Amino acid sequence: MRWWIRPFVRTIAALLLPLIVPFVITMILWALPGDPVEIVCPPQICTGGAHLAKLRRLDHGPWFFYHHWVWDAFHLNFGTSWRVVQGFPVSGLMAEAIPATTILVLFAMVPVLLGSAVAAVGWAPKRTDPILQTLGLIPAVILALIFAAWVTITYGALSNEGWPGTLRLILGALTLGVTDSALSGAVIGTRSVFDAEIKQRYIGIAILRGETVLANALPNVLPALVGQVRGRLLHLMSGAVVVEVVLGISGLGSLLWEGTLKQDFGVVLAAAWAFAMLSSVLLLIQAAVEVGTAMYIRRSPAVPA
Amino acid sequence: MRKGGTARMVWLVIALVMLGGLIVASYLAPEFLTRPDLAHRNAGPLVVPPFGTDSMGIPLMEYALQGAKVVAIPSVLSGLLVSFLAILAGLARCMGFRWIDNALAMFQELVGALPRLVVILVVAVAMPRDYRSLLPIGLTWAFLAAPAAMDEAAATAGRLGGAAFVEALRAHGFNAFRIYLYHITWLNLRSVIVRQGAEVIMQVVFLEISLSYLALAQQLPALTHSDSVNSWASLLYDGYTWLVAGERMRHAMLLGILLVAMTALMAQAFRMAARER
Repeated sequence: MRWWIRPFVRTIAALLLPLIVPFVITMILWALPGDPVEIVCPPQICTGGAHLAKLRRLDHGPWFFYHHWVWDAFHLNFGTSWRVVQGFPVSGLMAEAIPATTILVLFAMVPVLLGSAVAAVGWAPKRTDPILQTLGLIPAVILALIFAAWVTITYGALSNEGWPGTLRLILGALTLGVTDSALSGAVIGTRSVFDAEIKQRYIGIAILRGETVLANALPNVLPALVGQVRGRLLHLMSGAVVVEVVLGISGLGSLLWEGTLKQDFGVVLAAAWAFAMLSSVLLLIQAAVEVGTAMYIRRSPAVPA
Repeated sequence: MRKGGTARMVWLVIALVMLGGLIVASYLAPEFLTRPDLAHRNAGPLVVPPFGTDSMGIPLMEYALQGAKVVAIPSVLSGLLVSFLAILAGLARCMGFRWIDNALAMFQELVGALPRLVVILVVAVAMPRDYRSLLPIGLTWAFLAAPAAMDEAAATAGRLGGAAFVEALRAHGFNAFRIYLYHITWLNLRSVIVRQGAEVIMQVVFLEISLSYLALAQQLPALTHSDSVNSWASLLYDGYTWLVAGERMRHAMLLGILLVAMTALMAQAFRMAARER
């Protein structure tokens, strides 16, 4: 496969994602039994459906709704919530939720990145793998509920501000970073990438020349490592939904969960679009690293005979 | 027997017994829970064997059986779907379809670019309330997990030599059935497809527990089953009341964790039984 195909595919995927995700959700909204207006305003309990349909642009078919929604979304206007906090601007809900999820995922990246770094320099012996793998088998929901119980007993059920709130974030990050094979995957994945590269002949020559293995191998394994980090970030964002709800963290995941349970398409569209935008950024970063590494390797001077 | 053959056989027996137990339990599950028996509320396993009762005096055994009914068929079908797609990718590499690499890369980028649970929730929001089931959610999860499994199977087949391996076997006079199903799939791809399939079975069970627990925690209807059926998450939720409020429900927590551990053990047993020689 030519070197530019993968970054090219990633760039295309990154550009398409923020358009495809709302398109699919819009199609789902129209594919559901009944009229979309009836979801916003069930006729048994609600009057003024026509007015709400006009307000939410549901009265001119899916394409009209979709292209207006996407246009508004790129201007950070997501309309109002249908059910979660009825009538409240979704952008306001998102503004409250995104910082908590960002902090949670960044904290959770700490053990994952530390594990990767330790594996990269060869400080993680293989005999620790069974312990890490066993730890990774614990589902996030189990550890999260144990931590939630502990915080609730110690600080009370409504302790979401101040230190208890921070503690919930730290424990949530620990749960995300360790369970569901996050840490074991980081250690074993990074080590396997380096192990495969170290077997290459140029590494042996570099050692004979007195150079370090890491300095020689790193440029060549960088795209694979960035790919792994992207995969782990996606994994953490996925797990954040469970951890946020169980530990009572008001983040993007818990907002999406509440929107799903209450069939609030205003919230689901916005939260899924935010996740799609984050995924797009990660894809573009990976593509840029791949292109940069390929250019660097091609620009390197030929070794004189 | 080859070296390690006995250990593999033991793991295989463990895996099959646990999988069989899960499927049998799903068939033994009662359609509705028995009536509450307040005389035996929060009874331990010694008072009401084998697992005790909940706060309404309903045996936890019924919850365990109903939970098995919720997860058994959807999780096994999801695992089979991933294994099937992995076999297809491995065979395509051996048939010399080079375009499959580019198609797989595109598929992986688009399908794997979003957090899986976000996609699952989007699927869940599309399900009408009366038709909620784990099956569409499990199959979606399998579809999202498939690119990694397909990539690994294709890489394994590539290491065999791809089309050159098939050509060599043809030169030995083997027919296509023996080459593709026995030599490639059974002898060489088996460890990958069994491990990936077993992992997806485990992940789908854990996914169901997570989604049901989240719904229970907010006192809302579950996304994965009807209101008349209970998930294994109910046991964990009862266990949570023991942790927080000191209700006498420790046995529910232990049973919930035991079922989770058995699911993880089943996946590990399959992996160990099919590991490479």
